[in-house]
Amino acid sequence: MASVTLSNVTKSYGTTAVIHGVSIDIADGEFVVLVGPSGCGKSTLLRMIAGLESITGGTISIEERVVTELEPKDRDIAMVFQNYALYPHMSVEKNMGFSLEHRGTNKAEIAERVKWAADILGLTALLQRRPGQLSGGQRQRVAMGRAIVRNPQVFLFDEPLSNLDAKLRVVMRGEIKGLHQRLKTTTVYVTHDQVEAMTMADKIVVMNAGRVEQVGTPIELFDRPANLFVAGFIGSPSMNFLPGGLLGEAATIGVRPEHFDIAEGGLPATVTLVEPMGSDTQITARVVDTEIVAMFHRRVAASPGDVLPLRPMADEVHRFDPTSGVRL
Amino acid sequence: MRSELSPRAKVALYGLLCVLSIPFLFPTWWMVTSSIKPISDIFAFPPQFIPRSADWSTYEKVFTLQPFAQQYWNSCYIAAIVTVGTMIVSSFAGYAFARIRFPGANLIFLVVLTGLLIPSEVTIVPLFQMFLKWGMVNTHWPLILVPIFGAPSVFATFVMRQFFIALPGELEEAARVDGLGRLKIFWTIALPLARPALAAVAIFTFLHSWNLYLEPIVFLTTPSNYTLPQALTQYVDVYQGPMWNIQLAAATLTAIPVLIVFIFAQRQFIEGLAHTGLKG
Repeated sequence: MASVTLSNVTKSYGTTAVIHGVSIDIADGEFVVLVGPSGCGKSTLLRMIAGLESITGGTISIEERVVTELEPKDRDIAMVFQNYALYPHMSVEKNMGFSLEHRGTNKAEIAERVKWAADILGLTALLQRRPGQLSGGQRQRVAMGRAIVRNPQVFLFDEPLSNLDAKLRVVMRGEIKGLHQRLKTTTVYVTHDQVEAMTMADKIVVMNAGRVEQVGTPIELFDRPANLFVAGFIGSPSMNFLPGGLLGEAATIGVRPEHFDIAEGGLPATVTLVEPMGSDTQITARVVDTEIVAMFHRRVAASPGDVLPLRPMADEVHRFDPTSGVRL
Repeated sequence: MRSELSPRAKVALYGLLCVLSIPFLFPTWWMVTSSIKPISDIFAFPPQFIPRSADWSTYEKVFTLQPFAQQYWNSCYIAAIVTVGTMIVSSFAGYAFARIRFPGANLIFLVVLTGLLIPSEVTIVPLFQMFLKWGMVNTHWPLILVPIFGAPSVFATFVMRQFFIALPGELEEAARVDGLGRLKIFWTIALPLARPALAAVAIFTFLHSWNLYLEPIVFLTTPSNYTLPQALTQYVDVYQGPMWNIQLAAATLTAIPVLIVFIFAQRQFIEGLAHTGLKG
């Protein structure tokens, strides 16, 4: 286990800068999720921590040792790749023990470590199979097994669940989180899925266009987003942004869909779409030129064309500077 | 879903396949049967598809008229060395072109590829001059070195490069994280996965070397140094007319290794072609 520190890390391809001075402190044993839209630089940043990508400026330290110039093998990290990257010509057992074997660990210890990891991940019955004979979830487990066998200081996960179906993703999410709680190894996890980020992370780093927009706990990010980007990115459905003029204010007003009441004095919203979800009802409506999505944890009887008075809950309103987008 | 054929359709299908296989099987059948016929029977009309009698002495004569066993050995060991050498060179070169970023890689690859466009007839004279200067004429060195470092190897390099390009980059990255250096990655990850492509390269190269004709007739002058394609042309009578039955007996013996290679490696061969995208 170890802390990881990124200090003013930059990355350029020729004259094109893709990472603009990122600084992040990851504490020992912490589960940090890098989240952001496609192309925001989160995977590049992870690969830079792994040593698979060189950095243009700044430093990366693992447990106060600067590793910027070190090869991946010398950083004491283990990585789980998006496509698992299991060696197709080796059995599960061989895949898991491969790095130890390569590092000269004796056979008995390799067997013991592989057995330990296989027990934790429920892979014992599959040890002699090849990756091609496994399901997606099993391959994912083997990839994790390969990572934990070595007992590295840091785990790096690069969108490991993106190739799984929705149901399996939820199961594996729980397994990864459970594994972290058990091993307490510092983990950096990349995803574009904000639900994954919210449910797994001790700390979330929201990235956009090569910059860190906000770092905080899931609740902090949800309750006090630092700017319009974070506010719009975290939470599903996304936060509504209303021009201040609608509510007689100068700032841009952010209201999460679940923070509307239907009450006297609300904004007159013309319903355009009603989506009943059993216990919840999602209503899309229009106020002048602004589309609003409201979510009610109850059944609401409304039809397209109805006018509903939607009132933002006073304590749940977020205000942002309309020019800079920064929280006020 | 595959639909099951009715028995009658099956019989018709197999019948059709049998008929279609005749043009492919007939030359082999004719070669083998003619090798045990007297010459007059080979040219008899109507043709004798089944020999009236078997004269196996032709096979004995194959070995008494020429040092055929030595020539057979020459072809075998040259083809083996060329095959192994080409596999080594092409897998290293193909991997480097596919996986290692170095300045001018594409340009160098282009230059290498142009080697495929130059017919061997064009380079044979300068090559002869070169090997003459090195004192290697009438030795087997030209038949070994030219294919390993010449056009046949370029083709093999191309095949290997295409295979390595298609290999997921994440596998190598995983190996780097696991602690492997470039050479180890090549040896323990890339090369074992390239087996189908290597098999295709091996078969192509073996056949090319086995059938090589122009180079032996240019570089070799002593019968005991000859390789098989060259040796086959030497079964002639005093008037330089071919001794057909003996020549066909020698040809039958020459075809055996090729048949063995195809029978044992056909699956790998087809897989290799599929993997390298060379399938038609």
